[in-house]
Amino acid sequence: MTLVMVVDDDQDLAEMLGIVLTGAGIDVDLVSRGDEVLEVFRNNPPDLVLLDVMLPGLDGIEVCKLIRAESMVPIVMLSAKGDTHDVVRGLEAGADDYMVKPFRHPSELIARIRTRLRRTNADISGLLVIGDLSIDVTAHEVSRAGKKIALTRLEFDLLVALAKEPGRVFTRDALLGEVWGYRHSTDTRLVNVHVQRLRSKVEHDPEHPQIVMTVRGVGYKAGVLGGS
Amino acid sequence: MNRFIFKVKTSLAAKVIFSTVLLSLGVVWLTGSALYSQLSDGVKQVNLESSLAEARSSFFNAQYEFLLVEGANTDIITETVQKIIISSTEVSLNQDRKSIFLNRFGKSAPPSVGEVAPDYSTATDEIIVSSFPSDLRQRVRASDLVEYKYAKVKYKNREDANVLIAGKRIAIPDSGKYEMYLVYSLNNQNTTLSLIKNSLFFTGLALLFLIGLITWLVVRQVVRPVREAARIAQQFTEGDFSQRMKVESSDEIATLGTAFNEMALALNSQITRLENLSRVQQRFVSDVSHELRTPLTTLRMASEVIYSAKADFDPNVARSSELLVAQLDRFEKLLEDLLEVSRFDAEVAVLEPVDFDLVRLIERCIEDVRANAHDHPISVEIDHETEQVMVKADIRRVERIMRNLLSNALDHADEKPIKVSVVATSTEVGVGVRDFGPGMDQTSLSRVFDRFWRADPSRARVRGGTGLGLSIALEDARLHNGELDAWGYPGHGAHFVLTLPLIAGAQISGRPIRPQPKDYPQPV
Repeated sequence: MTLVMVVDDDQDLAEMLGIVLTGAGIDVDLVSRGDEVLEVFRNNPPDLVLLDVMLPGLDGIEVCKLIRAESMVPIVMLSAKGDTHDVVRGLEAGADDYMVKPFRHPSELIARIRTRLRRTNADISGLLVIGDLSIDVTAHEVSRAGKKIALTRLEFDLLVALAKEPGRVFTRDALLGEVWGYRHSTDTRLVNVHVQRLRSKVEHDPEHPQIVMTVRGVGYKAGVLGGS
Repeated sequence: MNRFIFKVKTSLAAKVIFSTVLLSLGVVWLTGSALYSQLSDGVKQVNLESSLAEARSSFFNAQYEFLLVEGANTDIITETVQKIIISSTEVSLNQDRKSIFLNRFGKSAPPSVGEVAPDYSTATDEIIVSSFPSDLRQRVRASDLVEYKYAKVKYKNREDANVLIAGKRIAIPDSGKYEMYLVYSLNNQNTTLSLIKNSLFFTGLALLFLIGLITWLVVRQVVRPVREAARIAQQFTEGDFSQRMKVESSDEIATLGTAFNEMALALNSQITRLENLSRVQQRFVSDVSHELRTPLTTLRMASEVIYSAKADFDPNVARSSELLVAQLDRFEKLLEDLLEVSRFDAEVAVLEPVDFDLVRLIERCIEDVRANAHDHPISVEIDHETEQVMVKADIRRVERIMRNLLSNALDHADEKPIKVSVVATSTEVGVGVRDFGPGMDQTSLSRVFDRFWRADPSRARVRGGTGLGLSIALEDARLHNGELDAWGYPGHGAHFVLTLPLIAGAQISGRPIRPQPKDYPQPV
């Protein structure tokens, strides 16, 4: 059964999240202090972490960095602040997605969690190539000249989404739908931050990207350099 | 000249200097004239006295000489006349020229040896004798005394000159009675007088210049602090309260400076106090909004759990759960709007422009609003002249503006269609949202963007708007340097027009869509 770690200092909200997630058939591990997260995480590794930004003990952003340092587990930040500054800080610390309190519907939260847990691109298998990168979709591995590159699940999904249709230009909205499972969202910051992060891992020179190319005013596409 | 007049009108220093110099000019003129007339009178008097004294001695000498040669022969008398002419016209050191005129009058003396008595009448320097004043000549002929007169005489080969003429009657032996005149040129006297005049004139000028200079120096002392005060006051209006006036003495100017500085201090502390107050208030609103979010999240989830199980409930409880969910929605919307308003008030709202197609965004907003308005059969037509309008703007804010305009139109459309139009120029884009509902009068129109203002309190709550939508939309539009205009007329619906620069922050030069709708006839 799936295990989600819920980190929130508000007891009532944590309990409510527990009720909702349990109702959806997900096991829940509740943690209320930031400095306790890592220990619980190591003892009982969850499939996903739901992490509040404001935490006693250790700030959620710091916790996020610590988890990211040792695991590629999906992290969804919970924030009472919708301000760009905090959102971007959370994403840069390694979060895959974020939700601003209050959530529109509990079902939205569940949908997000399921999207992050789902094996995306289950329909395609085998080997994809963009530029000098080879992507083994089945093994969930990316390598360049035989050397493996460690990507988070979300970064991997983003790369595969672009690579499976080389040359197609994806708008940010389309990527939000494809990778994050959003239906209607104009929050393109999510895409921008993750593209930056992906580039920093897979590009030779992130300032002049050759793998994930920007199409000005529209969105992104996979580069075709060396792809022939 | 115009610049000068402008300067005199606008500069206190120039004004003071100008009037001081003008008044001083009058004073200098008066005293100069008086001084000159006194001096010239004195010079003339001295000159007259010395000339007359000399003339008297010349006449006396002539008479004495002639007495000595009485009874002598004609040659000796002629020689004496020559001698007298030469000695009389001899000029002393400070004299310019002296001329002599001798003229016999009356009947000649009886010839002693049967000849005609010789006439010694003569004039030196080619004086034109006819230009002598005749009244003087009459007086000389009739009197025994020395007579004189200032006159203008003519010369044959020289310019006319102002002269002093002194004359006396004398007798030349064996010839008859003569009038003898000595003509004193006034050239030297005139030179002296013009020298005095020039000195007075230049002294006056120098005096005026010095007075001007002194006035300038004095005025500057007074005006400089005034100018400084003006400059500092100007900086205050620009929000810089750090400037202070220099106080260096204890006169009235220093009092001005001290008072000014105290005012600045008081203003500054007052403003700081108000700023702090409003910062605290904004902070409070923002904190309250944030603090409310966590319990609201719990509430929402709890209500959703209850709502999803409502099929098992008694109808009243089921309906209650529906109301609970709906009101929580509204509560959340209000919270969002309040938070946004507090951001605008705190001036911390930030623009995050991205490139996107405005037409596509509008179409999506229309789809969403139409989906949410399933209880209102409303048709929304989009009528745009171009397929695509690429803009660089904050997509979140533009979407919010469009949603607010559309739901506002839906609220007031009375189930009549709503028309959305998009017109782009090379620099800006206009989006019009037109409804054909009850419209608005002028009073409503002027308040339509006010917070929590409702056109008709009895009906507007049906759709549960927060009352902040339009005022937030206006702030959103202005953050882009755009504008949001409203038009309305009772019975003819309303028209809201959003104008945005194609690149957020650029200036808009007009309205691609006028707020007065095309379908509404111009009011007569």
